[in-house]
Amino acid sequence: MSTEHVSLLMEYLIKKHPRSRRGVEEVIQVSPARFTEIAEMFLGWLFKARGLEGIHSAADAFVQFSTEVNLAQARYEVDGCYPSKSFADVYADHYSDVDKMNDYLWGIYLTNFLWAHHTVISLLYADAFLSKLPKSGLIVEIAPGHGGWGAWALTVLPEARLQGFDISPSSIQIATSVARAAGVSDRSHYEVRNALDLSGMQKESADGLICSFLVEHLEKPEQLFAVVNHLLKPNAIGFVTAALTAAQVDHIYEFRFESELVKMCENQGLRVLQTLSCGPSRTQPNARFLARSMALIVQKRRGEVF
Amino acid sequence: MKDTLGQLSVIFDDVFDEPGVQINRSTSAEDIQNWDSITHVTMVLAVEREFQIRFSSSEVAKLQNVGELIDLIDRKIKR
Repeated sequence: MSTEHVSLLMEYLIKKHPRSRRGVEEVIQVSPARFTEIAEMFLGWLFKARGLEGIHSAADAFVQFSTEVNLAQARYEVDGCYPSKSFADVYADHYSDVDKMNDYLWGIYLTNFLWAHHTVISLLYADAFLSKLPKSGLIVEIAPGHGGWGAWALTVLPEARLQGFDISPSSIQIATSVARAAGVSDRSHYEVRNALDLSGMQKESADGLICSFLVEHLEKPEQLFAVVNHLLKPNAIGFVTAALTAAQVDHIYEFRFESELVKMCENQGLRVLQTLSCGPSRTQPNARFLARSMALIVQKRRGEVF
Repeated sequence: MKDTLGQLSVIFDDVFDEPGVQINRSTSAEDIQNWDSITHVTMVLAVEREFQIRFSSSEVAKLQNVGELIDLIDRKIKR
């Protein structure tokens, strides 16, 4: 297995950002072979889209993003609440800032394999979600961000198509460039659109659905699960991830318990087939909160009445 | 009265818990084994408390060594 792009990233990270060394060593230990497989795939697309400079600037963005997350979490320990309260404020301060969004999205792109607990989620995505999707059909991605999840899906499912919707123009640009680099741009279409407006799309049109780390950015997250229910065909499955007690400058809804997410899904006509909740192994000393990332594989219920 | 480096030495002893490490302006994460992404933030918060200042996340992310931290602290104190 080639390790060309992983080597380029690691050399730069450890030389330029030595504080990242311990995290990098941790993530490789999760599953060395699978880490290399996933990281090479993501980094190969990044290299094709933006060259060596792209890998370096994404590494810088990853360090900036991780520091922002660690600092926000440390302040959350003191304040006991997330810093942002409304979507409008977050949109004005962050999502509408193109330069900030570009760095933010490429930083997050690398967390899919450089944060040890996110590598675990990536493995679930591959093994318990992508492997269960039909080979052809429509995948809808709500808030694709960097577009890596969708490009991965289309790579594994060579006859599938994908439609992605994100409120950020930066997301559409980056997701499109990743799809092009992955060689799947002819089967993917991304457009600027609010995820909560998708209830206007044709009902039960999706054979699979991806929604990664959007729900905590909303003021009323249950609306998102209603959209998921609207779009999924009966018995089709969706992959949804969310953050719990994990402060970030743009997180609004503070999920405290995994059961809150399960309940929201169930209340909106979805059944939860599988869940995984995991957090970082290193935290601030005496931390009250553990920032968790949770993945849920959900399925639209078909005429199930109790 | 201790200068900024002296005050930082006390904080570094407390946060990184590596007895015998003498810090100077060029000390970086390459010199202190326990200086990782998490302890970096622990140290930064201790510095904020000690000097009654507040850092932005981009300032925290860009810090490369003790010298840069001293300069940043001194700039904020003078404001």
